Amino acid sequence: MLLVLSEEHKEHLAFLPKVDTAVAAEFGRIAVEFLKKGTSPKIYEGAARKLNFPVETVQHGVEGLMFLLTESAKLMISEVDFQDSVLVLGFSEELNQVLLQLYLQHCSQIRSILSLLPPHPPAYCNLEWRLDVLLASRSLRQQVVPMVTMKLLLSTGGGNHSVRVVQTDPATLQHLITTLEAALASMKTNHARRILRNIK
Amino acid sequence: MELSESVQKGLQSLCDPSVFDQSGFSVLVDVSFRSLLSAHADPGVLDQPELKHIDRIVLKQSHAAAATFILEAVKQHADKSTISSCLEDVTCSAERTEIFYDAYQKHKGEVEGLLASIGKRLPHINDASWRLEYNMKNGHVHKVNEPFYQISLSAEKDGSSEDINFSCTMEQLQDLVGKMKDAAKSLEKATQM
Repeated sequence: MLLVLSEEHKEHLAFLPKVDTAVAAEFGRIAVEFLKKGTSPKIYEGAARKLNFPVETVQHGVEGLMFLLTESAKLMISEVDFQDSVLVLGFSEELNQVLLQLYLQHCSQIRSILSLLPPHPPAYCNLEWRLDVLLASRSLRQQVVPMVTMKLLLSTGGGNHSVRVVQTDPATLQHLITTLEAALASMKTNHARRILRNIK
Repeated sequence: MELSESVQKGLQSLCDPSVFDQSGFSVLVDVSFRSLLSAHADPGVLDQPELKHIDRIVLKQSHAAAATFILEAVKQHADKSTISSCLEDVTCSAERTEIFYDAYQKHKGEVEGLLASIGKRLPHINDASWRLEYNMKNGHVHKVNEPFYQISLSAEKDGSSEDINFSCTMEQLQDLVGKMKDAAKSLEKATQM
């Protein structure tokens, strides 16, 4: 699948061949750093001054690179497709190779950064359990009620965690185990295998 | 078993043949159990023909005393000798003691269940439901192609139910089930001790 670049995007990237390939490679490295850690406008100003270009041009160039990388990583386009998409920009072969290497090296990292963006339901982190026996309460003495107390640790995206403490009785625990084992078994059915194999 | 003065007084009137005749006594004992178990604070529970001739205030005091006595007895798992000695203290005849004890035996289990359900507790898990889904793509990343589970545990607390929802991969679900199985195994070992 080819990446279709908008006219505006092509204009922004047109800044790259105007500098040395080494400098363009440096901008590539900066673009990846920005994707990982966030942008820092001071870098644009410093580079603009050194290279004698307006700040806006430098900024657009780096942002154009960032967008090129994120779009390519999002669609996980192949090496060939990436090269063909970039051909349209009319860059030198050396610059094309630099961009290709940049993409190939950082594709999976960028994908994992992007996967933090969509909404996440709370995800399972851990389960701790303990066994208790209820012996008496304010309303009834001399009881013997076994129960299992469980602490469920869930992560709710953005590094936050929520803790749920719940109880259950031995019979329900057995029922939960059976139900969830059936869930695990459903992944091994022919139907599931067929879908997992064929949708790639 | 310690009983307060007002409870003892109420029981004394109940056991007094000049206040409650034999049928009145049986009916009030019955009504006392019923008002705890099924009547749900229905004020009409005392409108029995056998109780009509009894002074209203005495009737209410005896009813309250009997209900308190029943709850204390069940709470403490009182045996026949404890109940008999309490009723002897308020000069209850052996016959009436027998009638009371029979009713106590009959309804004890139900009242116990009632008392056991009173109290604050952690949310109690009743059931789990699951879905197996295949994550294909989202607005930010295409070609994700990963299966995952959506689990929903239904918990109940004080009559209101709540769902705990979360997602997990197959490995995480295996971890969860493994830990639950450890808990179940320790339970089994504990029962064999």
